[in-house]
Amino acid sequence: MSGQSKKKPFKIEAYKHRVEVDPKYADRTWAVIEHAINEIYNHNASGLSFEELYRNAYNMVLYKFGERQYNGLVSTVTRHLKDMGKAIESAQGSFLDELNRKWTDHTKSMQMIRDVLMYMDRTYIPTNHKTPVYELGLNLWRDHIIHSAKIQTRLVDMLLEQIHRERMGEVINRGLMRSVTKMLTELGSSVYQEVFEKSFLDVSASFYSGESQQYIEVYNCSNYLRMAEKRINEEVERVSHYLDSKTEPKITAVVEKELVETHMHRLVHMENSGLIPMLVGNMYEDLNCMYNLFKRVPSGLNLIKDVMASHLKETGKQLVTDPDRLKDPVDFIQRLLDMREKYNEIITKSFHNDKAFQNALNASFEYFININNRSPEFISLFVDDALRKGVKAASDDDVDQVLDRVLVLFRYLQEKDVFEKYYKQHLAKRLLSAKSVSEEAERGMILKLKTECGYQFTSKLEGMFNDIKTSQDTMLGFYNSPYGNDMADMPAITVQILTTGSWPTQNINTCILPAEIVIVCEKFKAYYLGTHNGRRLTWQTNMGHADLKATFGKGQKHELNVSTYQMCVLMLFNSADRLTYREIEQATDIPGPDLKRCLQSLACVRGKNVLRKEPMSRDISEDDAFLFNDKFTSKLVKVKIGTVVAQKETEPEKMETRQRVEEDRKPQIEAAIVRVMKSRRVLDHNSIVTEVTNQLQARFLPNPVVIKKRIESLIEREFLERDKADRRLYRYMA
Amino acid sequence: MASRDRVRFNVGGQLFETTSTTLANAGRESMLGALLDESWNPGQPEYFIDRNPACFSTLLDLLRTGALHIPSNVPEKLLYREALYYGLLDHVRGAKWGPFDGNTLRLADSVPGRAPGDGTAIRAAPDGGCCVAHGSMVHVYNWMLEERRPISLDYQQVNDVGYIDANSIVITARERLGKGDGGMAVFSAATGELRHRFRVEHGRQPKSFTAGALSLACPDDHHIFSSCKGRLNEYGIGVWDHNTGQQVDFFYEHPGCSLGDADKLQWLPSKNCLMVATLFPRTDNCFIGLLDFRDKSIPWCWSDAGITVNLEDKRVLHAIAMEDGHSICVINQYDDLGFIDLRAGNTNSAGTGVRWSSRSKLMNQKVPYEESCYPKLATHNGQLFSCMNDSISVFSGSEHVLTSTLRRSYGGSICDFSIGGDRLFALHNEENVFDVWESPPCPII
Repeated sequence: MSGQSKKKPFKIEAYKHRVEVDPKYADRTWAVIEHAINEIYNHNASGLSFEELYRNAYNMVLYKFGERQYNGLVSTVTRHLKDMGKAIESAQGSFLDELNRKWTDHTKSMQMIRDVLMYMDRTYIPTNHKTPVYELGLNLWRDHIIHSAKIQTRLVDMLLEQIHRERMGEVINRGLMRSVTKMLTELGSSVYQEVFEKSFLDVSASFYSGESQQYIEVYNCSNYLRMAEKRINEEVERVSHYLDSKTEPKITAVVEKELVETHMHRLVHMENSGLIPMLVGNMYEDLNCMYNLFKRVPSGLNLIKDVMASHLKETGKQLVTDPDRLKDPVDFIQRLLDMREKYNEIITKSFHNDKAFQNALNASFEYFININNRSPEFISLFVDDALRKGVKAASDDDVDQVLDRVLVLFRYLQEKDVFEKYYKQHLAKRLLSAKSVSEEAERGMILKLKTECGYQFTSKLEGMFNDIKTSQDTMLGFYNSPYGNDMADMPAITVQILTTGSWPTQNINTCILPAEIVIVCEKFKAYYLGTHNGRRLTWQTNMGHADLKATFGKGQKHELNVSTYQMCVLMLFNSADRLTYREIEQATDIPGPDLKRCLQSLACVRGKNVLRKEPMSRDISEDDAFLFNDKFTSKLVKVKIGTVVAQKETEPEKMETRQRVEEDRKPQIEAAIVRVMKSRRVLDHNSIVTEVTNQLQARFLPNPVVIKKRIESLIEREFLERDKADRRLYRYMA
Repeated sequence: MASRDRVRFNVGGQLFETTSTTLANAGRESMLGALLDESWNPGQPEYFIDRNPACFSTLLDLLRTGALHIPSNVPEKLLYREALYYGLLDHVRGAKWGPFDGNTLRLADSVPGRAPGDGTAIRAAPDGGCCVAHGSMVHVYNWMLEERRPISLDYQQVNDVGYIDANSIVITARERLGKGDGGMAVFSAATGELRHRFRVEHGRQPKSFTAGALSLACPDDHHIFSSCKGRLNEYGIGVWDHNTGQQVDFFYEHPGCSLGDADKLQWLPSKNCLMVATLFPRTDNCFIGLLDFRDKSIPWCWSDAGITVNLEDKRVLHAIAMEDGHSICVINQYDDLGFIDLRAGNTNSAGTGVRWSSRSKLMNQKVPYEESCYPKLATHNGQLFSCMNDSISVFSGSEHVLTSTLRRSYGGSICDFSIGGDRLFALHNEENVFDVWESPPCPII
């Protein structure tokens, strides 16, 4: 450069001046564009040439007047907006209409202005971090119109007033409302939220707070719920028609809070129409309505669930502790089943099969079923009833259904091993007296129990079935063997061979059998021990039954179906007409209570009294005497003489079963302790109790005291030892 | 109806007649779109436009046919300027070159550089532009190959550059002792301004660091990886979210795997792992590994430990994971390609895992004794590219057969190349010139 300035004398002066644009060029060009903007705002664009304007705007940027042009744009548009603002403020009556009209004008104008300044939008604006033209127009509108104090409050008031009117049932111009809210969202979601949404939510909250106060006093629960549902739907519909969709969750939250959450406790506990009357009355639709509404608010469903659960527990507890109900176990279980069915139906129909409600239902049942410690026995009796009487259940399918339902109750039981004990007894009775409805149904039930509790639980029950099966084969073998083929004139015998341990057998002294029977028995014993080595047979005379042919006074013959004990007693009367109680006891050696029961059924039941008792009274005393009743008559040839059996257990029997269950639990608890310790080696007392309880709770809930005793016993037997350093710890001794 | 569809223009005195259907191809966001919009009283008998008629003719032809044919009397720059006036620049770019195919590439341009010395790296932008890192400068070019404002880093050495998108360039730079600067930052491609610096924190303490190789994860999870060397023991791979700019993770270096010195990072979406190749470590052995950031493990790695280091031995000089994610391709100083199977277990033993395909015999040239540039590898749409000396080889098909060679007569050997925006850019060493290769648009028949 310095070299050039030295060459001044040369005639290059003409080049010395930089070629400059006409200094007025920018002013003149901008004037053209500004004029055009004015004409556009005045709806007078038809005279403008787009090509000329575009070229001018292009040149402005090309000749580095981009900034000039941009600032000019801002001030011109601002001036127009101020004019518009005044026009809107002074609008009479239809303020929203005027605002909307001006908004349409403005956006249309900005669209055209942007067309003219498109080149600037593409080049100058991004490199200089300016706001694009159309967006600039929106921002200016926001600043000069919406945020103008006079317009903003009036705008919000008008919008809210329209909405209030609509809530009160009037018809409003939704199209206009939509245009105005759309304008606010186009200006940016924050504008919509700050200018409109916030006040809208506040006003709605106070509106619904007032309305709900009013309605809760006069409406019953069902009507109130329907009103709330309708209001929520209305608000959702309003949003879809003319508000921004993001408002929906906010406004529904407001309505839910005011209409539902604030009053939910009052609604649930409303007298005569709250939750409990609905449950009692099976009002599925109302319950469903309540569920849907309460689902929307925090802890709403928990409230319903808790009230339902406590109601269930209370009614259930009443049911299981009502002494009247204990008289009929079948009815007792049936009522429980009905109750479960009812609530299951409610949960399915009204509570969308909600898992939490199912769990609450289960927990409640588990709670009150285990209050009554006879529940395991009753459930078994119910199954017994279903499987015994073929008449009640028409088909296998029905039996299956009943069993499935009762299995649900079974799942609630904590003391499943007690159930197993009773089930074994009842099953034994059914099998031995061949009274079960069908083997298929029995096996089905066992399969269900197996899937429920595992192989261990049912292995003995299955053993019982196998015994029955092999007994049939054995009997066939006996009669085909030399021992059995010369028995034509002897009484026929059917022997069930029961594996010790599988059956609920007691060690009972065999009663003295009649001589005729003893011969047959000995024959069978010889046959059986001859074919099976190393076995021992004990006769369980308390379980068998017999068919007797009897001839009475006038020569009428009857076939009497009796138990083995009864047979023994009756056979005595072949050689005597009158026997005292003591004589009978001596001759048969039947245990006292059984004998009494057996004599009672022979002498005291009307229509089946093949014996007469002296004196005539209901109860058997040890001084009574018995006579053969030769005046006995019956229309039937076959007379079945049932034993007077208390279906339910008597008190001492119950105690005995309990005790046996407790005894059976001991080895199971010990096994569990050893399993735990084997894997953990060292553990403190509380952890052992927790783990053992976890392992065993599928069968029963072990008592911590019992666990402690078992641990002590294991220490004595040197399976475990106490840690020498820390006495609370136990150590496994391998 | 036909005549109403007709539109007449007088451009700089020359008459053109076309249809509004043709003009609709320009789109509403263009000068012609606005001109014919109903808000601007359309339906005039003739529109006058005060512009160059030859360019208008070319652009009108582009709107009619979708193909760009620039007559010899129209300079390209002039056409670009006019296209910008009409708002049709994107149309021109879209029609200028066709979809990338390594076997149809032709040299489109050579751009001379001014900077002295070696270039560090060249990177292609997604829109067809590129940038060249050079010492402490990054020269940025738009797709018209006009140089934009360069990015100057105040004399810190640039290690690697990459495009987050066409408008944002991320740069990693060496830390200068005592200054506490260096590290990694995003710059605007258009203006060269600093947008954001990525920080590294160790135990909530911000640290200065030297950032090395870069990798961007797949576009949908916004992650950006860089090897980092801190002053103390903060060596490893940092991960940032380039939307929020925040550091999201850090993979500390395990002993024996120098991650902080990594030369190549590559995200493998199919394995959810990052491949790290450290080929010129200062102390350790050459190492290639896959990093799993979820459990901070290295499920696979390879190293050349045990190979006697001798100039004659085959050394791995660059590595790239193949697009199928089953193998890593490597190259040695003899221009042999080698493959390491990723599906095999750890191949720690003495580089035996490399299956070399001896290609040097095929090349009819002597291997220069003294290398001035290390070879580089790249993959694109199933094709594999390698540069060696002054040429780039293109390998195609599953067997990676050499199918094309791209060579220029001057410029010296190629020190880096990059593929993107359907173009290949090759940076030459000596003249500091870079070549632009593109595939021509598909022929009509």
